[in-house]
Amino acid sequence: MIVTLMKTEAEEALARQFAAVASSLPGTGVAAARRAAAMDRFRETGLPHRRIEEFKYSDVRSALKTAFAPADVQAPIVDANAIEAALGPVASLDADRLVFVDGAFVQSLSSSEIAGVTFRRFATGQPTDDAAFSAIAGANPLLALNEAFASDGAVISVDGARKLAGRLLVILYLHTAREPRRVTTRNLIEVAANARIDLVEVHARIGTAAVQTSTATRLVAGDGAEVAHIKIDREISAATHLSLWDLELGAATVYRGFQLTAGAGFVRNDIVARLPGADAKFDVSGLMLGRGDDHVDTTLVVDHIATGCESRELFKAVLDDRARAVFQGKVIVAPEAQKTDGKQMSQALLLADDVEFYSKPELEIYADDVACGHGATAAELDESMLFYLRSRGIGLAEARSLLIESFALETLEKIENDDIRAVARSVVITWLGADL
Amino acid sequence: MLEIKDLTVRIAEDGKEILKGVTLSVPDGEVHAIMGPNGSGKSTLAYVIAGRDGYEVTGGDILWNGTSILEMEPDERAAAGVFLAFQYPIEIPGVATMTFLRTALNSLKKKRGQAELTTPDFLRLIRAKAAELGVTDEMLKRPLNVGFSGGEKKRMEVLQMTMLDPSLCVLDETDSGLDIDAIRIVADGANRLRGPGRSMLVITHYQRLLDFIVPDKVHVLAHGRIQKTGGKELALELEKSGYAGFAGKAA
Ligand SMILES: Nc1ncnc2c1ncn2[C@@H]1O[C@H](COP(=O)(O)OP(=O)(O)O)[C@@H](O)[C@H]1O
Ligand SMILES: [Mg+2]
Repeated sequence: MIVTLMKTEAEEALARQFAAVASSLPGTGVAAARRAAAMDRFRETGLPHRRIEEFKYSDVRSALKTAFAPADVQAPIVDANAIEAALGPVASLDADRLVFVDGAFVQSLSSSEIAGVTFRRFATGQPTDDAAFSAIAGANPLLALNEAFASDGAVISVDGARKLAGRLLVILYLHTAREPRRVTTRNLIEVAANARIDLVEVHARIGTAAVQTSTATRLVAGDGAEVAHIKIDREISAATHLSLWDLELGAATVYRGFQLTAGAGFVRNDIVARLPGADAKFDVSGLMLGRGDDHVDTTLVVDHIATGCESRELFKAVLDDRARAVFQGKVIVAPEAQKTDGKQMSQALLLADDVEFYSKPELEIYADDVACGHGATAAELDESMLFYLRSRGIGLAEARSLLIESFALETLEKIENDDIRAVARSVVITWLGADL
Repeated sequence: MLEIKDLTVRIAEDGKEILKGVTLSVPDGEVHAIMGPNGSGKSTLAYVIAGRDGYEVTGGDILWNGTSILEMEPDERAAAGVFLAFQYPIEIPGVATMTFLRTALNSLKKKRGQAELTTPDFLRLIRAKAAELGVTDEMLKRPLNVGFSGGEKKRMEVLQMTMLDPSLCVLDETDSGLDIDAIRIVADGANRLRGPGRSMLVITHYQRLLDFIVPDKVHVLAHGRIQKTGGKELALELEKSGYAGFAGKAA
């Protein structure tokens, strides 16, 4: 009852907006009830703030001062050339595409048939969507907010006949609004046992206005599946980007996730991974690039439940001006998860005096026969490396960018697909070159 | 010609005085050796010539072809012809050796007002020079010095020296950690660069390297000063008597 008193302007606005748009959001009555329940849950907690442990370093409540109006789901017609331009290097990828513009699927910009993949929209209004709709579970208030407002998204099934990774599948989220808007999407990706796919999620902006993005993806991989899963966020100075990956990986799966965040205002990337099957190989890594007042947070929980799984995480941050990066990595090893092999590393390169890097690795190990380790470093450019390069005739500016690039690009080695790696590399180089 | 005149240097951080008045000259085309006990300041001298931060020159001067280089940035010195083969080459993860060599060579060419090499010319040059020094293609593809053995690192230093066409070569303990075959390879590399347009300063703790790179002169550095200068036979003397004889001459 006193809750109202504590509401921020943004929280008030979110409640008002929900009341106004709820009836026009897609889905059955079941979905509508779930949205309402999600909104109730959100109302109880409000936006997460720094007194909640998981958000200690990323106070969403103070970052999200205002809640922009939800984007108009009647997607505007966008010109294909403008899209290619917004995509930058991503445009050149030879890939199947699923395109969402301002939070709504656009068939005319998307591939009509994708080998070994069935696709449907979240928002068809079919009862079958109900299960998919609420498939992403968790106590995160941002997830509740996402469920309440989600306007569209992809429900993708990769069938067992897809034995080769094949053509890349790119899911594009484009923002075209000329006024500040909020865009909320969620995806469900199911990969059949022994199937393979390389999946790229790209967030980019055509419009001039700031965007508040909320995106949630649940990916379930059957036994023996092989999945590469890459997110490239180049919204560039968007107001906020709130992302959540909920991963569940079967026995002997090989999963390689990567998140590239190239300077996007306030960013919170949550990754929750459960490894309930034995002998899975799990790698999730990323690169956070920040300058100005950018704030980029990656918060990861890996839950080892079965024996013999391997988990690897490498997250790096390049920080200039007053930028901040956060890496929280929790690895839980259940009593049954013997022979778990976990390694985690986070590293920040600090290019200015006023940047901040918070690193919080956590191991919760309940099994006795495991090998788990983690490390974290934060350093300025190495003087001896700079001197070595300069002693060979390389000027200071060029020596600095060589070292910054090499620090950043090392993470991209985690991306096995050459085409995606080249795209990611180009995004990184462009970002670095914009101002050094 | 390299002229070091009454050079005094201290460590910037703790003020410890390392060089207390070093004077020596290396005329064009000559190879001089500097020998001295561990900790006598040989690397300090090499770094000060190359322009590393952290050393404070409190007196004296270093002239290269008549001009003081003390105020020059390390890359400007490199453009002027200075090359230091490091005692401990630095590992640079993420920078491919090939990319590095190409960037360095082209930066130098630009600074020296020369045309940059085309890709085929560059590749031809690097292949030829690498083969001479037993540097494999596989090494060139790796990140610079990362995971290289001690010997591979030293060969890479000499390869860089060969590629970058310096006129003053300072070799800091290029023999340390090498077996005799490897010493021969790097010494051959250095010897190929001997010639009228080039001066060399070969720093070593042991006489061994000087069997292969025979110096015109040998200087003994101890206690911050050149204690003795002589011909190549001085190295052999030192091999027998050690550096103990210079203990009394501390400042
Ligand atoms: N950057 C530095 N910081 C502190 N002390 C240093 C530094 N460089 C050299 N020294 C000290 O200066 C002395 C000379 O070192 P160095 O020049 O490496 O000798 P050498 O190469 O003859 O073995 C040693 O006592 C060493 O500890
Ligand atoms: Mg030394």
